Amino acid sequence: MIGVTQMTFGVFGLFASIGIFLGTFFGALGSIGYVYGMLLFGGVAFPCLVIGNYVDDLRRRAVAAQIVYSLIAVVLSGYFLYVQGISYYWGFPIFGNPDFGIAIGNIAAFIVASQSLIILYLLARWKAVAPPPGASVERDKTRARLLRSTHVPSPLEPALLAPDGSTLSPDEEQKILGVTKVVTEEGMAILCSNCNGATPLSKVGEDNTLHCDFCGVLLGVSSVFVPCENHKEYLAATTCNVCGKHFCRQCLTVQEPPVDERWEGSAVYLCKKCFEGRYRPAVTTASLVIPIDQLFSTAGSRFSRVGQLYRSFLGAYASGMKYLWRVPLELLASIGKSGGGNNDNCAGALILMVIVIIAIPILAGILMILGAIIIIPILFYAGLIAVTVEAAKIVSGTDFQSVDNARVRAIHDHRHPKVTESKLRPSVRVWEDEYRRASSEHRRLIRGIEAEKREHERRRRSREPSASFWRDEYD
Amino acid sequence: MTEAGQEQIMCPVCGGPVIIDNKDKVNRCQYCASPVLGPSQSRDCVNHPGVLAKEVCHVCGDLVCEKCMQKRVGEYGGKLLTIVNCQKPSCIAESEWAKPLNEEYQKLANMDWADRIDNIILRITGFGAIVMMVFELLFFLGVLYFQYFTPWSMPEVRLVLGSSFVVGPFLMIPVSILVFCIFGNLLAAILLQSALQVYVPDRQLGAGVTLLVILIIEVAHLLFRGLFFGLLTLPNPYFLPLMIGAFLFGTVLVFIGSLMAIYVGNKKRIQLKKARIQLNLTLKKGT
Repeated sequence: MIGVTQMTFGVFGLFASIGIFLGTFFGALGSIGYVYGMLLFGGVAFPCLVIGNYVDDLRRRAVAAQIVYSLIAVVLSGYFLYVQGISYYWGFPIFGNPDFGIAIGNIAAFIVASQSLIILYLLARWKAVAPPPGASVERDKTRARLLRSTHVPSPLEPALLAPDGSTLSPDEEQKILGVTKVVTEEGMAILCSNCNGATPLSKVGEDNTLHCDFCGVLLGVSSVFVPCENHKEYLAATTCNVCGKHFCRQCLTVQEPPVDERWEGSAVYLCKKCFEGRYRPAVTTASLVIPIDQLFSTAGSRFSRVGQLYRSFLGAYASGMKYLWRVPLELLASIGKSGGGNNDNCAGALILMVIVIIAIPILAGILMILGAIIIIPILFYAGLIAVTVEAAKIVSGTDFQSVDNARVRAIHDHRHPKVTESKLRPSVRVWEDEYRRASSEHRRLIRGIEAEKREHERRRRSREPSASFWRDEYD
Repeated sequence: MTEAGQEQIMCPVCGGPVIIDNKDKVNRCQYCASPVLGPSQSRDCVNHPGVLAKEVCHVCGDLVCEKCMQKRVGEYGGKLLTIVNCQKPSCIAESEWAKPLNEEYQKLANMDWADRIDNIILRITGFGAIVMMVFELLFFLGVLYFQYFTPWSMPEVRLVLGSSFVVGPFLMIPVSILVFCIFGNLLAAILLQSALQVYVPDRQLGAGVTLLVILIIEVAHLLFRGLFFGLLTLPNPYFLPLMIGAFLFGTVLVFIGSLMAIYVGNKKRIQLKKARIQLNLTLKKGT
């Protein structure tokens, strides 16, 4: 909003400076008008439009420039108020009204108030509005969306592999996937991590490996011979990392691991119950129970999507309001075109520009109030529809994506499927944000170390001639 | 094929490569670190030959049976994850940072028995609350439609402020429709949120009670609204029966679901209380 506000000031400044130039050109003002016009353009229109264009865009320098600019504006307007007082106004004849007044003192007071608020806001939220030095901000919406959308972690290509590691053709893939649904009747089986086929454990060789009956890859065997908690016919692939129980690939989902140097793997496996945050580890010392709510939060953010929806609606509303400025601009443009040396027209344009500075905020305010009467109930209604859709998704319980389903989808779509979130435990992937923060910090440190190395190398090289000299002398 | 001419062993969990470093100990997948048996490794517990191992020590990689293992809950990057260590002093020392799982309390506090019923409760209350919400949304639109797009009109409402200032039906009718329907929608939204909370073991009892209270308010509000709007005089023969039918259906579902949630939630509360008394444990503040 600060950017929009600042750009609004810029547009007003531009109108006024153009008006003054035109008025001076056609003789309505003295030649000093050019100086005023230049001052208005260089001091208000240009900086406000440039800074306003960047300040909301997470640019550190733009935010700093905004604070400095606002500070100057507050000081100058404050001084103006001190000298002229708040009742200072300009009066001039317009359309038969012999003394039309513009409350310049009030405008100065408005500038002081609005710019002070901007300064306070930016200083109070400095960390949020100005990214730290070295932080990279992705401004391309498409690429930002790609960064946000995470995929199921997997070391495999999204295609079916042959025993030699090459990828199979789509026909061969289809042939294998078509028969892997067969459940073995020869006792407990192991599910292939490549094709999901079930190969009986009786085929495990003496070296504790077995070839998949379907795709032929060589599979290692899980460390312990424990059946899956839910499917006794399958050997458990591994344990759920949260509750520690044994599950097969059909009962586990996979996510990125927490940021912790003690965690060795690149994946964390969760069973459905832990995915939904229903596991209660009984960790005891003298007292009991770790505060689970802090770790496995279930409520609160569930309706955050509705908040997002409201925000996007309001954003659209605000951007719609931008078109409001088109009307006076087009009006002014038409007056400019109909000019041709008529002094009355020029004076009219100048006056209209000044009126626009007062009229547009009032008009905008009225339109926004009227819009709010209609838009707020619509937003409320739309929000409730979104809540209902979200609730329907939660109740249908279709958000658990097992490892083997993810693999089939990857092969079918030839790309890694996206991670699905548990609506019942929205905080389940908090560690991803931590991971990104840590990765960014890590990259920053690496860059620092590399810069240090380069500097060190540069210094070493600069010392080399003198070292050679000593070697030559004493070797 | 690998460079040595041997086939690459794939992890049975993620498909990542498994490099055999230990022939008689577990080897870890290079990607997900899941343990995979070594080529000449026995599947039995290292301390009890003949007894099939159940877990792997996360420190030394030995296979251990239930008697030889300790389960611990450790915090990794802010998340509680379970690890297993064997009884060797060095492995215990290496795992000290994680807290031992109180297996006894875990068994006493086990609520696996409620998984199925909790699922059913979630579906019943959730579906009922969704029906109520859809009802509210349609009711709002329906009343607006009949008021402004048909000859029917709700009774004229006036607001008398003092002796001389009266707000007429022109303003009061839309305001009253808006206020009553928005309040109804809000109640439905609270109902919906509470209906989803019944799936969380710790909040099941509270959510059940909340559901019941909100349901009573919602029913009273609907009856009042219907009479206030004079819907009994509505000429359309379908709208009112359809709305009442949907509302009753949703109400019955939520009512049954809330009673079930209260019953099961209370059972869980008693179970936890008994377990704590039995093991002489106190409840830590904030849980």
